[in-house]
Amino acid sequence: MKSSKVNTPNQAVLSNNKSLGKRIYKYRWFYIMFLPVFIMFIIFNYIPMIGIAYSFFEYTPFKDPTFIGLENFQTLFSSKRFWLSFRNTITISLLNLILSMIFSVGLAIMLDDLIGKRFKKISQTILYIPHFLSWVVVASLFTMFLSPQGGVVNNIIEIFGGEPIYFLADEKWWTPVFLLINRWKETGWSTIIFIAALSGVDQEMYEAAKIDGATRIQRIRNITLPAIKGTILVVFILNLAKILNIFEPVLVLYNSQVYNVADVISTWVYRAGLEGGDYGLSTAAGLFKSVISVTLVYITNIWSKKVNGEGVL
Amino acid sequence: MKDRFSFKPGYRLRACYLIFAFTFLTLFMIAMIIPVIKIVVDSVDPTATGITLWPKEFDFSAYEYIAKSTSLYRPLLVSVVTTLVGTVVGLLVVTVSAYVLIQKEMPGRGIVSKMIMFTMLFNGGLIPTYLTIQNIGLGNTYAAVILPLTLSAYNIILMKSFFDSIPTALFESAQIDGCTPMGIFAKLVLPLSKPALASIGLFIAVTMWNNFFNFQIYITDPLKQNFQVMLRNIILMDAATGTPATAGFTSEMLKSAIIVIVVAPFLVIYPFVQKYFVKGVTVGAVKG
Repeated sequence: MKSSKVNTPNQAVLSNNKSLGKRIYKYRWFYIMFLPVFIMFIIFNYIPMIGIAYSFFEYTPFKDPTFIGLENFQTLFSSKRFWLSFRNTITISLLNLILSMIFSVGLAIMLDDLIGKRFKKISQTILYIPHFLSWVVVASLFTMFLSPQGGVVNNIIEIFGGEPIYFLADEKWWTPVFLLINRWKETGWSTIIFIAALSGVDQEMYEAAKIDGATRIQRIRNITLPAIKGTILVVFILNLAKILNIFEPVLVLYNSQVYNVADVISTWVYRAGLEGGDYGLSTAAGLFKSVISVTLVYITNIWSKKVNGEGVL
Repeated sequence: MKDRFSFKPGYRLRACYLIFAFTFLTLFMIAMIIPVIKIVVDSVDPTATGITLWPKEFDFSAYEYIAKSTSLYRPLLVSVVTTLVGTVVGLLVVTVSAYVLIQKEMPGRGIVSKMIMFTMLFNGGLIPTYLTIQNIGLGNTYAAVILPLTLSAYNIILMKSFFDSIPTALFESAQIDGCTPMGIFAKLVLPLSKPALASIGLFIAVTMWNNFFNFQIYITDPLKQNFQVMLRNIILMDAATGTPATAGFTSEMLKSAIIVIVVAPFLVIYPFVQKYFVKGVTVGAVKG
């Protein structure tokens, strides 16, 4: 390490003029350290991108890939099931996003505004717990509680003289129950960012408003909400860009009886590709989803620049 | 504030808001905590029906059964080992990448940075990723379930923002003292970023412990499955077929006991490490 012995700021500028070979040699240990990570990124992220080409092939476990042009996309776009899953993805994700914003902003304001320090700490601790439980655990819990045979919810319904309802296998009930379970798991954790934003609101504004005789509701409407408007928008935009990605929660909570309302693009791809073995068609569906997702990211980024002065990318 | 809940005219709205907010919060917290308590009670009380907050009898036979049955405790060991290994590898990946990204003059740094960020925007998708892993012979190996989860661009950005706050003068003086880049990494960078390591390490550990999908699709050997997949399979099986009749406990007890075991390690350490979780998220939020 002779060259780096005297590394004054002047030297740093000079080193830019050194030949590329010398500079690479100087950083040789960094390249060696990073090499394994680099290989992992190539294998797990970049080689699969080449595999997107399978969308233009007929490819199953028993048949070598044969080029068929756009036929997979034609099959896809004429498939009623696929469009149904597309519609379900949008419906479920959008409802989930809107409910998430309302509940987490509301809860954050109440937590910030209402209660003593110690109560606030304890309640935050409790509210964050469900976020860290895996979707498998959450699905198991609710499958047991909502079961028509001896599940606690149906026990209560029967005590009041009602008929047991198979919540997770009934098309009428599945979406509301799914949204509710999502709120149970994620509402607490999604307040975290709003609580951070609220702690930055100038307390003197509240004092001044109080002296001026503003009611609590007026203070929330005129001080709190405008102060965190930017954060609300950024969170909304970031999540909007991800709405097509919904997968694991649906996978562990749906079943064949509710495909009509519960099947989303990702679960459709999973079944067509890994259970049905139609690699070509499912890759095409995945590509369709990715392209829309990337477009959404770009649109929301432009939107964010407009409202917020800076992009989220 | 004696008149906090006063219903005198002019205070009514505030009182209503306070009562509403307080009730809402309390109900919300009860809703969060009841399922967790219920599952613990159900796992030891064969007579439990409805919502009971304390078991009427204690019967640990479901836990004993899990401890004795290979097909049940083996997945637990798999979960523990893959979580430990995954967390160490994950932290190495994240710290090394972040360390490379703060080398402002390194040739190729820009390309590396772009290569990592691009994975946040776009990926090959489920099927091409699955086929790649199968084709290079990683099917049914733990590498296939652990390694993809360690490559998190988000965690790398987070770690880099922590490294950025280390004063450059420290690096320079270490270099003058003859420290190699690896020496600086091990003796300077890592010790200085302990809170970041704790924070990101905990998030990686939770991801590894909760790893379900990768095990589900890549691990075909039932003996190599982890606890999440086993829990899922037991829940999917019908109550009648899942439980041995002679074991002396109900299938509800067994399922509840398995859930308790999955959740317990987290619940035990959680109160002590909560601040690191919160820190990880809020730092990320500030940095965008």
